[in-house]
Amino acid sequence: MTRYGLVIDQERCIGCQACAVTCKQENNVGLGQFWNRVLTEGGDHLDTPEGGYPEHGQDGTLSMNYQPTACQHCENAPCVKVCPVNATYIREDGIVEIDYDKCIGCRYCMAACPYNARVFNWDEPEHVPKEGTGDVEARPQGVVEKCTFCSHRVEEGLDPACVVNCPSDARIFGDLEDPNSTVSKYIKKYDTHQLLEDRETDPSTYYIKGEMSPGRPQISDKMESELSPAEREEAGLRPTPHVPESAAGGDD
Amino acid sequence: MSENPAETNVSRRTVLRSTGAAAAALGIGGGGLVSLSEAADDESGVFTDYVGEDEVIPNSCAPNCRGRCPIEVHVRDGRVQKTEPGIPENREYKRGCTLGLSHAQRIYNPTRLKYPMKRTGWSADDPNVDGRGEDAEFERISWDEALTIMADQMEAAKAEYGSESVYFESGSGDYGTASDHQARLASLFGGTRMDWSIDINVGQGFRRVGGAGWFNVPTNQASDLKNANTIIAWGGDIFASRLQQDSSKMLDAIENGGKLVVVDPVYTGTAAKADLWLPVKPGKDVHLALGMIHHIFENELYDAAFLRKRTLGPALVGPDGTLLKAADVLPGSDEDKPVAYNTETERVEILEPETEGAYALTGEFSVGETTGRVALDALEEEAANYVPEDIEETVGVEAGNIRKAADWLATRGPGGVVPGLGVDRYKYGHIFGQAYAVLVALTGDYGRSGSFQGGYFNGAAADFGDYSAPEGSPGYEFIRQTKILTGMESGDPFQIKVLFAQESNFIANQLPDRQRWLEAVKNLDLIAVSDMHHTPTTQHADLILPAAHWFEKVGATSPSTHPHVMYREKAHDPLWEARSDFWINSRLARKLGFGEYFHDTKPEELESMLEADEHVDYETLKSQGTVEKPVPVVKYTGEFNTDSGRLEIYDEDAPSEEGISLEVPRPVESRTAEDWEGADEYPLTFMQKHSKWRIHSQFEYQPWLRELNPEPQLDINPKDAAERGIEHGQYVRVHNERGEMVVRAKVNDAIQPGLVNTDQGWYTDDFVRGHHNDLTHTDVSPVTGNFAFYDVRVEVEPAPDDIETNMYTENPTGVPERTGDRQ
Repeated sequence: MTRYGLVIDQERCIGCQACAVTCKQENNVGLGQFWNRVLTEGGDHLDTPEGGYPEHGQDGTLSMNYQPTACQHCENAPCVKVCPVNATYIREDGIVEIDYDKCIGCRYCMAACPYNARVFNWDEPEHVPKEGTGDVEARPQGVVEKCTFCSHRVEEGLDPACVVNCPSDARIFGDLEDPNSTVSKYIKKYDTHQLLEDRETDPSTYYIKGEMSPGRPQISDKMESELSPAEREEAGLRPTPHVPESAAGGDD
Repeated sequence: MSENPAETNVSRRTVLRSTGAAAAALGIGGGGLVSLSEAADDESGVFTDYVGEDEVIPNSCAPNCRGRCPIEVHVRDGRVQKTEPGIPENREYKRGCTLGLSHAQRIYNPTRLKYPMKRTGWSADDPNVDGRGEDAEFERISWDEALTIMADQMEAAKAEYGSESVYFESGSGDYGTASDHQARLASLFGGTRMDWSIDINVGQGFRRVGGAGWFNVPTNQASDLKNANTIIAWGGDIFASRLQQDSSKMLDAIENGGKLVVVDPVYTGTAAKADLWLPVKPGKDVHLALGMIHHIFENELYDAAFLRKRTLGPALVGPDGTLLKAADVLPGSDEDKPVAYNTETERVEILEPETEGAYALTGEFSVGETTGRVALDALEEEAANYVPEDIEETVGVEAGNIRKAADWLATRGPGGVVPGLGVDRYKYGHIFGQAYAVLVALTGDYGRSGSFQGGYFNGAAADFGDYSAPEGSPGYEFIRQTKILTGMESGDPFQIKVLFAQESNFIANQLPDRQRWLEAVKNLDLIAVSDMHHTPTTQHADLILPAAHWFEKVGATSPSTHPHVMYREKAHDPLWEARSDFWINSRLARKLGFGEYFHDTKPEELESMLEADEHVDYETLKSQGTVEKPVPVVKYTGEFNTDSGRLEIYDEDAPSEEGISLEVPRPVESRTAEDWEGADEYPLTFMQKHSKWRIHSQFEYQPWLRELNPEPQLDINPKDAAERGIEHGQYVRVHNERGEMVVRAKVNDAIQPGLVNTDQGWYTDDFVRGHHNDLTHTDVSPVTGNFAFYDVRVEVEPAPDDIETNMYTENPTGVPERTGDRQ
């Protein structure tokens, strides 16, 4: 089985919003809508710190971090539970998706989502250029939409756009069920956390904080699982082929 | 994997059939006259399906940022559908940024210029210069008419004032080959081109020590950053203004255990990632560097072997302050070379480059009839005036942290200083270039992996031979922007009468003391501006020439900051009647009688230009997309490009500023000084940072970016805001003796009290009133002639009640609709 997940290294995130913008491009997200947002952890406004400017030239009285936030693709997704028409569902690979044909626009899912990850098309989505961008199907007026982990790319063996196009290598995508994947290794190695763990939603998105990871340099658009041994080596990954799940761990 | 794989496939095939209609409606491919907006108005232009198969072609981004990233352009049915970072030969340089990912909105932006236009009311007999500006109206003309007008006016100016009265300006709108084509034409015509007066301060200061530097300072390749153990990012917000190629590599250095020190009066995103932030006060960078130098002397942390082998540290200075020369002090020598005292041989010897010896690093020695004092002592003596504990209040940095930064640099192995362009923008910023060049000389941080001496990472440039100045051509006058200004104003050094600007938004937006430039251009008979988009400068033109977007032309770009030359494949023909810069210059050349010097097509031209490059040929470039040139990873490994071949940490030919002689660095300040004469009236220093939302004035009306950064703001500290009764979000009037601007206050603690900032590059239309460059000035250091954008003082007050701000309340993205209507 595969369960796709995302690790975001907040130590590497520089708040450039490339993920937010490339998401809009890839998914043809309408004006005024964001599937992927980079929030500032600090002051009240974008790119402002908390704390006061040091009066005597000290260091360290201000702090600012970035909190990239999109659909967390929860294993125990509250949005799925409340959808009265089963328009929101969890795929076998763990990606939470919306069937726009079924969505009736009741927005219960938006109320249920603790991450404010969903947006609603009050109007017909407006695009610049009008002809749209990216490579996804249109969403009509009156439906809820959100991050899909770029499922249309994942199905072609490509990493999500925000992962490939992060200038800081702060995003790593892969199979949480595969103990050899970089996401699995990072979750083990670093002090990762999920957002709002007390809600027991069990998101597939993990955040690294405290110690910076090397990221996962992107030498192509391919998902890690699609890389050839040579490409793995070039990307700085162990050039070993994937260990089948059945063989991992030894005793289960 | 998908729950509905069959449906996905069906929908893709359906779309492949249906998108043909969309391409036809756009008229792309035929180079026709059907405009994008005309197509969009058509009902058939309503798109309900956005899925299809893309062709991926190589291009590159080159807007004068430090990134110059390769780009993959995804083209579907003759339309650009999206962009992604391209993968160059050296994959470490596969990068892109927020801006490069938004090109689909740039190429199909409603502000694209569509047709050649002439300002209504302009004529050869009466240019009607007062009709220029915000209220100017334009009428559509043909390309032939436009080029004929230009050629006629150029010939007329040449006849009356000389050929140098025709000014060919290339801005920084595209580091492809547009500038090369224009230079070739200017050279054939004998016109004038500009040499920069921007961001050349620190580089010139460094050059006096290290023999290199102009726009910032060349240093090791970016890929070597991971080997630096200490990086002092000084006066630059790397994670905002040059995040494209550099952020991952800077982060790799941190991840690898390197210490990042950030020197900046603003708590930037880069400062937020630093191990140590030094919140220097504006203009106190040289003080700070000298404080660090003092710490290094006091604790004997300098690299003595390096100083002896590769610097003028041991050179002997005579009583008159010049270096003693072998010819004067060593019997039998006629060498004009510095000397040093060797403590082993107990003799004075010639100081050859790259030569080790037991040279004294301190003391005074008799040499023949005179005495010589070791140069390093002069530096130590000067630095002793900047004991960290004594200067901490002046500099704004705690003494312990000054010492800590110096310790890290001196004791943790390879490291260095990576300056941004912040300090460049003070009038006497060049002295900082000298100061930090000396600082990293003391720590031996030259010529080794992991050592950095500049912010201009080593990269490749295509070699076009003498293309810009073909043999037999009269050549062009090459004068500084400061002189272009006086040339237009008063004929100093000569009268300028015609301006042909391409890829430039200078005169109405990006130059300091904007009103002075707008006044000066009233002396011009013709202003012709070629650009992709309607800018404030095209609004001030007499002739508007629509230029192709980068994806609408074949080309080659040279990054200079990473080791590739990159190919540009054309995604589709230029929209409407836009034409490539090559086409415009070569067709103008025909009108001027120089047609034979240009090929018919850009590919032919490029192929012939690249013949001069021994590493890059057109066919390979075209087939590979990028070609990596053999560029050294480590700079400064041999003799320095100085008279002595050594780092001249004592500069006997030093210039003076304000009567202060600069053999060793000494702080000199202009408007940042506490006792500057206007400080009471204008207490706040005003800077205009490079932001992550635009490159200079480019990427201006990108809705994806505007959603995040809708309008110009003034960063102001809560303390300064409270004193003036200003609240966050309120419109404020920023003013000084030259002008004003009205912007919204962004009250925040990242900005130092006493300092305010508005990110640079916004168009005139973006301001509720005025412009950030109505506040800046053209007062430059006579030594470097560099515009001092940050050496500016202002006062801030709540905006008057009668201002109209509905441009933002009614239109959240701030993209003015009328801009598109003017075409």
